[in-house]
Amino acid sequence: MALVEVKGVSKRFGGLTAVSGVDLTVNAGEIHCLIGPNGAGKSTLFKLIVGLYPPTEGSILFDTVDITKERPYARVQRGMSIKMQAPSVFKELPVRQNIQTALQERLSGAERIAEEDRLLTLFNLAPDSDKLAGALSHGQQQWLEIGMALALKPQLLLLDEPTAGMSPEETFKTGELIKSFNAEGMTVLVVEHDMAFVRQVAQRVTVLHLGKIFARGDLESILQDEKVAEIYLGKTHAH
Amino acid sequence: MFKLLEGPQTLGRGRMFWACFLVVLAGALAYPLFADSYDVGNFAYFLIWIFMALGLCLMWGYGGMLSFGQTLFFGIAGYGYGVLAINMGGGTATIAALVLSVVLAMMAAGILGYFMIWGGINGIFFGIVTLSATLVLAFFLGQTAGPEWHIGPARLNGFNGMKGMDPLTVGDFYIEGSALYYVMVALIVIVYLALRMLVNSGIGNVIVATRENPQRAEMLGYDVRKYQLLTFVIGSGLAGLSGALYTSWGQFITPSSIGLPAAAMPIVWVAFSGRSDLTATLIGSFLLLFGFQTITVYSQQAALVLMGALLLATVMLAPQGFVLGIGKLVADWLRGRRRGDGDVVAEAGRLQSEES
Amino acid sequence: MSAEVFSVFYQFADVFAFLILSAAGLAIVFGMMGVINMAHGEFIMCGAYVTVGLVNLGVPLPIAQILAAVTAGLIGVLVEFLVVRRFYKRPLDSLLATWGLSLIVTQSMLLIVGSAVRGIGTPEGSFAVGGYTFSTYRLVLFGCAVAVLAGLYVIFMKTRFGVIARATMQNAAMAKALGARTGRIYAISFGIGTGLAGLCGALYAPTMTLIPTMGATFVVESFVTVVIGGANVLLGTAPAAVFLAMIRMALNASYGQIIGQIGMLVAVILIIRVLPEGLSSVLVRRGR
Repeated sequence: MALVEVKGVSKRFGGLTAVSGVDLTVNAGEIHCLIGPNGAGKSTLFKLIVGLYPPTEGSILFDTVDITKERPYARVQRGMSIKMQAPSVFKELPVRQNIQTALQERLSGAERIAEEDRLLTLFNLAPDSDKLAGALSHGQQQWLEIGMALALKPQLLLLDEPTAGMSPEETFKTGELIKSFNAEGMTVLVVEHDMAFVRQVAQRVTVLHLGKIFARGDLESILQDEKVAEIYLGKTHAH
Repeated sequence: MFKLLEGPQTLGRGRMFWACFLVVLAGALAYPLFADSYDVGNFAYFLIWIFMALGLCLMWGYGGMLSFGQTLFFGIAGYGYGVLAINMGGGTATIAALVLSVVLAMMAAGILGYFMIWGGINGIFFGIVTLSATLVLAFFLGQTAGPEWHIGPARLNGFNGMKGMDPLTVGDFYIEGSALYYVMVALIVIVYLALRMLVNSGIGNVIVATRENPQRAEMLGYDVRKYQLLTFVIGSGLAGLSGALYTSWGQFITPSSIGLPAAAMPIVWVAFSGRSDLTATLIGSFLLLFGFQTITVYSQQAALVLMGALLLATVMLAPQGFVLGIGKLVADWLRGRRRGDGDVVAEAGRLQSEES
Repeated sequence: MSAEVFSVFYQFADVFAFLILSAAGLAIVFGMMGVINMAHGEFIMCGAYVTVGLVNLGVPLPIAQILAAVTAGLIGVLVEFLVVRRFYKRPLDSLLATWGLSLIVTQSMLLIVGSAVRGIGTPEGSFAVGGYTFSTYRLVLFGCAVAVLAGLYVIFMKTRFGVIARATMQNAAMAKALGARTGRIYAISFGIGTGLAGLCGALYAPTMTLIPTMGATFVVESFVTVVIGGANVLLGTAPAAVFLAMIRMALNASYGQIIGQIGMLVAVILIIRVLPEGLSSVLVRRGR
């Protein structure tokens, strides 16, 4: 069953067409990776799904409801949760309060504190829970933000380059965590260009190139697609 | 619910802090027993402005919205109280006039805030739009000298100001002198504690999260505009409370308590005190009001020059605020002295924040 | 008939000149540095006082006005160097700092100079169109407003300084890396801004009572014009002034000055709901 349906979506900025006539379906329960070389329009498409930009044309459905005109907070209330590309946390607030702000609508009292502790431990942040979030390392901030995104217990987790700035070990661990959330039933859409990470987590892959869908399929078929390899190696610049 | 009185958003926790709070409160309550009624009246006068300062602290320090126009709401409620008290005929109706005039200020804040916040105005434009509205109200009221400017029997009276309203009254008893002083102290305690609970609550978490990173807060599912509007309306309602109490205290209000330089005063108090903490704002604003009033007796201009100099000095030397800075130094010094007994204090602090 | 048309134009020109002259300096500083100079009104006051002082010493009015604008500009450069410079990374603090300055200056002037200074009177001269008489000086003011816009166009579009200044405005770090002395450009821009404020005071000095708090008369108009106009003086401030002048003129004519001002404020508040980044964002986008 389709959880997200992007139908004929385009986005133009002045004369520049960043995304053009894209159709994309994310099925419930899968880990879907959106890949493509730099400038392919991945981040723009991500922001369109999240609601940071309105599309120039086309529509976006979540769980069969048209959300094209909804603001991000309304989409989050429907069951999406988002982690942006650059770490985006509340820097002047303590780590625990960051998590608490994400959790407080869902849980309260002792239950909330138990869940805070669980998430802090899961991401190795427990020893730093009283520090200001801005004092954490880059990688720790990425984890804190993933922790906040998870605290919402979303149906759909949207991650924009979650492993940027992480060491290979951290990246691997993040991949395993994402797979474990998926095993519990969470649908995941990841924008990524680290192919090792994509190999580790992806079940289905969509390749974006020059603002259009270039290829889509399961992980194996995409990995063996020579044309995909070509655009990654830079042989094809345009059609 | 009372555990919200302490939390990460407010300085001051534990027995030591609340013991100090009670000592100060006891001193404030005992003060009229030792002072003559003229001084008590003057003291009540400083306390009038504290509400406006606390409201701005909430908006600016916690919500990240710097309004330059808090005297707009002060003026709306101040004139509102006058018009209502005159029209409703004094007596116990003055209490209703007080409440209604504060509601009026909050409604005005709701409308202005809606257009600014939903329009995405923030940062410095938030300040200059609110200040523009404030100055226009002051100019307008300044031009209402003619007899045609009246609301019922209440004459607006231009620069000379509106007068003739009753002070707050219950039955036949005028709330003046010591009685007014006690009402002020009670209101300040209530507002101060209520604001502490607000900022340490879940709503407070969202308010400070929005200040830090509005986009992230929205992506946790919060409609941050509603929280900003709420903050703006509460802060402006407190400015309105100051305005209504001011009119009732002196039975008189003029446009000069709205326009320049009056509009700058709340900014000076809160900036000098330390906008990020309610207690620092409470203490600092009181000190500045006391000092300002003392100098004003000799020369109002000199007092205002000093306020300007303090504002300039604050942003150049201590952008986080002088009172807050000194308070933190004292707290560090106390903590340093106790460190000999091991890190018990730090540990206790951590446990406390985990309990909250 | 043509007299009526001219009368409407005259009223429009009067309001337009007031908006442009009071806002241009503020808009330059905002456009270049993202800072609102809260002491803008005090630079206007400075221009007015210097003009009147010089005229009373026997200097001819136009020369006194130019000298007054230059004085305000030089003081502006000094203020930029001593105060504003520290706050480019903290724009809100720069507003507070300049507001502090504004308080210090106004209240010190009240202490030293006292409330009112003898004015110099509006230059004589009027002309008639049809059955109506008009003041020549008001048209001179309109001419000055147009000249200010033209002058800014030349400075920012046709000179080397203008090219570097616009580059700095777009991307200060990059301009600096390419060798522009951004510190000096900021100081000069701030000086141009305060000089224009001084010019505004100098031009209006003959028409109003001189009091130390006179700057407040101009700040609302300058604020709202900049709020609506956005960061671009030529593509934002000028159209904003045209737009606001039309609203203001219509309301002034039917309901008087104060309703005109209130109406203008209401229009501004309604517009920011739709165009939070001001008119220039729309015009600049269209232009691309």
